[in-house]
Amino acid sequence: MTDRHGRRRFLHGLGASIALPMLERFAVRRSTAATPPSGPLQRLVCAGTYLGFYQPHFFPSQVGQRYGFPPALGPLEGFRERLTILSGLDHRGRNGHHGWKAWLSGSVGGGVSFDQVVAGHVGDRTRFDSLQVTCGNPPDEARLSFTPEGVALPMIGRPSVLYAKLFRSGADTQRVRYLLATNRSVLDGAVAEARALEQGSGSHDRQKLGEYFAAVRSVERRLGKQAMWLDRPVPEVDYSLPEFDPVAPNLALECESIMYDLIGLALATDSTRVVSFTIPGWSQVFSIGGRNLSAGYHGLSHHGNDPQRIADYTLVGIEHSRRLAGLLRTLDRATDGQGRPLLDTTAVLFGSGMGDANTHDNSNLPTVVAGGAFRHGRHQHYDRNAAATRLLGDLFVTLMQGFGMEVERFAGARSGLAEDLA
Amino acid sequence: MIRLLGRARLRVLTVALLGVGLVRGEPVPTAVGDFLSHYCAGCHSVAQPPNGVRLPPDEIEWRDRGQARVWERVQVALATSGMPPAGAPQPDSGERARTASWVEAQLLAHSGPAASIPRRLNRAEYRNTIRALFDMPEFELPASFPADSSGDGFDNLAHGLTVSGPLLAEYVALAARVADEVLPPKAPPESAPRKSYALSPTAFDSSAGRAVADRAFRIVSSRNMASAAAWPSRFEAAHSGVYRVTVRASVFQSEGMFYAPREKGVRLGLYARPKTGQFYAPFGDLRKVAEFSLPAGNHAPAHLSAEVELYAGELFGIRWEDGPAYSDPPRRDYSHRFLADRLTRDRLYYAAMLEFGGGPRGTTQEQVYEATRALMESGTLDLSDPRLDGLPEVWGGGLSDAPHNWIKAFVHEEMMRFGPAVDVSGIEVVGPVRLVEDAAARARRARAEAFAAGPGPEATARERAVLVLGRFLAAAFRRPATSGQVRAYADLALQHVLETPGARLEDGLRLAVRQALVSPRFLYRGLRPGPLDQFDFASRLSYFLTSAPPDEPLLALANRGALAGSAVLAGEVDRLLASKLSDNFVRSFAGQWLSTRTLKGIMPDPRLLKFYDPDREALVAEAEMFFAEILRKNLPVETFIEPGFSYRSARHNKIYGTALEGNQMRRVTLQPGDRHAGLLGMAAVMMATANGVDTNPVPRGVWVLENILGRPPGEPPPSVPAIAPDTRGAPSILAQLASHRADPACASCHSEIDPLGTVLENFDPVGRWRERYPVYMQPADGEAPLEEDFYSTEGKGVIPGPPVVTVGILSDGTRLESVADLRRLVLTRADEFAACLAEKLLAYGTGRAPGFADRRVAQRIARDAVARGAGFRDLLVAVVQSEAFSLR
Repeated sequence: MTDRHGRRRFLHGLGASIALPMLERFAVRRSTAATPPSGPLQRLVCAGTYLGFYQPHFFPSQVGQRYGFPPALGPLEGFRERLTILSGLDHRGRNGHHGWKAWLSGSVGGGVSFDQVVAGHVGDRTRFDSLQVTCGNPPDEARLSFTPEGVALPMIGRPSVLYAKLFRSGADTQRVRYLLATNRSVLDGAVAEARALEQGSGSHDRQKLGEYFAAVRSVERRLGKQAMWLDRPVPEVDYSLPEFDPVAPNLALECESIMYDLIGLALATDSTRVVSFTIPGWSQVFSIGGRNLSAGYHGLSHHGNDPQRIADYTLVGIEHSRRLAGLLRTLDRATDGQGRPLLDTTAVLFGSGMGDANTHDNSNLPTVVAGGAFRHGRHQHYDRNAAATRLLGDLFVTLMQGFGMEVERFAGARSGLAEDLA
Repeated sequence: MIRLLGRARLRVLTVALLGVGLVRGEPVPTAVGDFLSHYCAGCHSVAQPPNGVRLPPDEIEWRDRGQARVWERVQVALATSGMPPAGAPQPDSGERARTASWVEAQLLAHSGPAASIPRRLNRAEYRNTIRALFDMPEFELPASFPADSSGDGFDNLAHGLTVSGPLLAEYVALAARVADEVLPPKAPPESAPRKSYALSPTAFDSSAGRAVADRAFRIVSSRNMASAAAWPSRFEAAHSGVYRVTVRASVFQSEGMFYAPREKGVRLGLYARPKTGQFYAPFGDLRKVAEFSLPAGNHAPAHLSAEVELYAGELFGIRWEDGPAYSDPPRRDYSHRFLADRLTRDRLYYAAMLEFGGGPRGTTQEQVYEATRALMESGTLDLSDPRLDGLPEVWGGGLSDAPHNWIKAFVHEEMMRFGPAVDVSGIEVVGPVRLVEDAAARARRARAEAFAAGPGPEATARERAVLVLGRFLAAAFRRPATSGQVRAYADLALQHVLETPGARLEDGLRLAVRQALVSPRFLYRGLRPGPLDQFDFASRLSYFLTSAPPDEPLLALANRGALAGSAVLAGEVDRLLASKLSDNFVRSFAGQWLSTRTLKGIMPDPRLLKFYDPDREALVAEAEMFFAEILRKNLPVETFIEPGFSYRSARHNKIYGTALEGNQMRRVTLQPGDRHAGLLGMAAVMMATANGVDTNPVPRGVWVLENILGRPPGEPPPSVPAIAPDTRGAPSILAQLASHRADPACASCHSEIDPLGTVLENFDPVGRWRERYPVYMQPADGEAPLEEDFYSTEGKGVIPGPPVVTVGILSDGTRLESVADLRRLVLTRADEFAACLAEKLLAYGTGRAPGFADRRVAQRIARDAVARGAGFRDLLVAVVQSEAFSLR
């Protein structure tokens, strides 16, 4: 693994050195602008590994508070009291890699994902309603976030692109301003043409054109928001990217570290409050601890119960957990306007839409929830065969309720997990 | 009655249409109301009336297609004296006829062209239109572009093609992006500081080699050529430009090697590839940017330099071009011959391989090597084993042979340790030395020149704008632009130049292009109700058969007003179907009619069989090629049911139990009575009508009614739960269905649906023939889950369950015992099948939701076509020639 300690040290100090003044500024803005959110949760991060985990190394064998910390999650042990491991949850959905897109939505048909429901609730307070992040250039099927219209949101896989989106202004602002202004004039022109067509057309045609006018108004609102944020300065951060983007598949773990750093900065600067992160996997052969693993990552996930492959598969899982622990530390040290650690008001969902990669089985999805004011510190098991069984959607319901949203059902779930988590 | 998940969505759509007020109920005239009260209400006015038909209704929402369907049945029942039933009071013939013709008149007045609306370009049409309009054959929609909703089975029907905010936002963004490709904005000069990169051998990304003590990266020749190169992944070209690359490399051959020392030198190739690209792209797809030669024999590292062109975002890889085991096309078999040679020459080695047998799954390359070496040196191997004689052909011959992988591992490891190999001890890159125009930039410049071509140097800005925009708008709007439109767009362009400091005419023209690309005139077709004019007709025909805008010949005909008359239309259909673009029609229409589009969302249960994406593609290809042959050879529509041929490859063997060789699709002849013949036996159809895990006769029966017989069943009442098949076979799905049919409210539809689906139960969820249901063995509690292979290759995890029963009796008494009976039934009702197909062609072509009026037209066309023994293409031509096709 590459040595990234220099930058890590800086990030560890981020809560004290940078985030505080910045968030105070945002806190002032919040108090004057938007209505204060009613629920205790303010932020949501959903990070999932495309190739899943070896389940016996992810789920503890004991339930309740006194459980042995599972090896694949090892680096997260320091947050034991701030997280909950949940087993037995899934969507009762389809098997195979296609089930990935159902992870946050419960639907392989492109239903809305719950992070986007949350973004609809808190998104208008920040520069970006939500961010979709990945490493490199995974296929479209790896996208996680779906709008209410069923659009799979594209992901940013290059650290330099994400950084520029969040923190760079200047050179292209003029171009963006020009595009915004001309887009408005284009829309005005389009409306004028549609009005001309409307003249003398029948009622059904007018109905069809009515859709068009409604869509124009919606785009105008969106352009308005973009223009408003264009006039506000971007946050200043002291963060140095590497000279090149580590986006080649064999550097994916390195890319993952940087992406978590940027996610932490995005949340600390209140640039967005909702992030989904697809941690992809191909056939790349990772080298961990100076040793090439016994097979490519995808090959390891199809371990065939071979002990060496399982061990190596979990080594990769541990690296994912280590990087997530970095984000949790960042969120624990950065504070909001009231001096609370961001982690106290951030829900972090970690796991996978892939249950058992070896057999492409999507039952019992690996699931961890960290942060927020939940009753943590336990391994919560749900019996899939019990009469009052629970679905992964029940967790989403509870998380959404944590944002003060009045949600009772999602993805087939109708109960929530409040009795265990709240 | 049984609710189907797929149909539930349709219901939502209907309700949504009601919600926006498109549909408004109309009162029933007194005379009709009296008739219905007198003769029908006795049975049909209770809370849950037969078939859900409540008569008389308070009002009728004719545009609600569910209700219209009910009234079609009422009309037929009256016209054919099917109702009131025998024994009930009967109306006289005059009353009966008056009521029937009133219903018919209402149905006609509210369906077909009378109900048509403007039709937005769908995803594929939009993409193809941009490609054609700007000569951008590579143009693809971005990942953020919304999917179309599909109503009534097709994704190109006007009522399903709505415009939402996110869609319009994409149109606006794409308009700007595309306009930049056509009229590139003047970019500030690129600042590209020259940088130096020293790439360490440890930062390479490859499975063809490995770092040796941090000093060098060793590249061996490998059978798996896709990865037989070394990629320094910590470098990427920041700008498109020329980079000076220096490679320090030497040949490595150890004393103890198994090969004769290389007498000739080594050729090293330098390839460029996008940095985020996947490893396994064939080398033929990569750009070779330089080649170096290394002298033979061990020697000190040579400094090899070249100036190479790399485009922004690319990195380069080094590959040993002429190693002992290279296998690029067309010499793909080279590595097999190499291995066979190697094995034949060294019998000891070969005996060790035979003894070793490959080791358990997960054995690493090093372990294979160590174990095999130990055996070779053990002195225990029996070199006279006769099995050794036959194996070189077996092991050296086939890519898919299992031993091949570890023979390859052995050779790979051996070469890594002893050579021959190439050691790369360092790479320096300096650049960009100068910037170059990459392929995309060149294409942009060519497009800009083509767009602005025409006006001479003396033309004024207005003259230029008028000429260029007049030409562009005609193409964009698919009809000549009016002088008013051209003036308005030219005004927009010139005004923009005036108002924007530093703007050139191109900037104004670019804005006009953006404006046109979000105009309803571009995004919609059929903006005028009534008969289509020549240009709208040209668009309809073109998008129908090519999913693309009208080409020059079509527009020329339209310009002359000559796009009319049976002969011209038949000629144009033939011409368009002969073009490559008509593959779009085959893929889109067949994919939706036969539901094979849904296959990519179905993951077959691995316990059934191992199923990979290429298998899925092969199944879809079979359906498409089958459809295309019937279309292009103009075979009778009955061919869809009893064809005598299909298209298959070795990938189909595991489905059909055939023994074809090679993955190339080819035409195969089917014997009469083949179980898998035609649509009612083709794996793609059977898979699409199941869910990958188990089968259910109801969706399959509904599919046959909707897509073969053209008699879609009515909507089930919302209160009835769906039936889920029980894969353990007890209680059987058939028993569950039988109990449902006992309810008279369910019986009227399910007595038709169930036998049609039941007779297809011989086809499992992937389309294989079966005579018993499978029962899966479960691992005991606490045991590791069974491996995928356990079920499919060993067959140990599956035991035969209850026998499949396929017998059913349709409501008219027809007994169906097997799929052969179903085929016979469809063939005796060939005109119904042809009408169903004609109705779908008419809907797909016109964008109108299938309705009563168009159904009447389709039935007439089909009767006529079957009577004169016409082929499928004749049927399509007849659809195009019908009056219904030329009305919006």
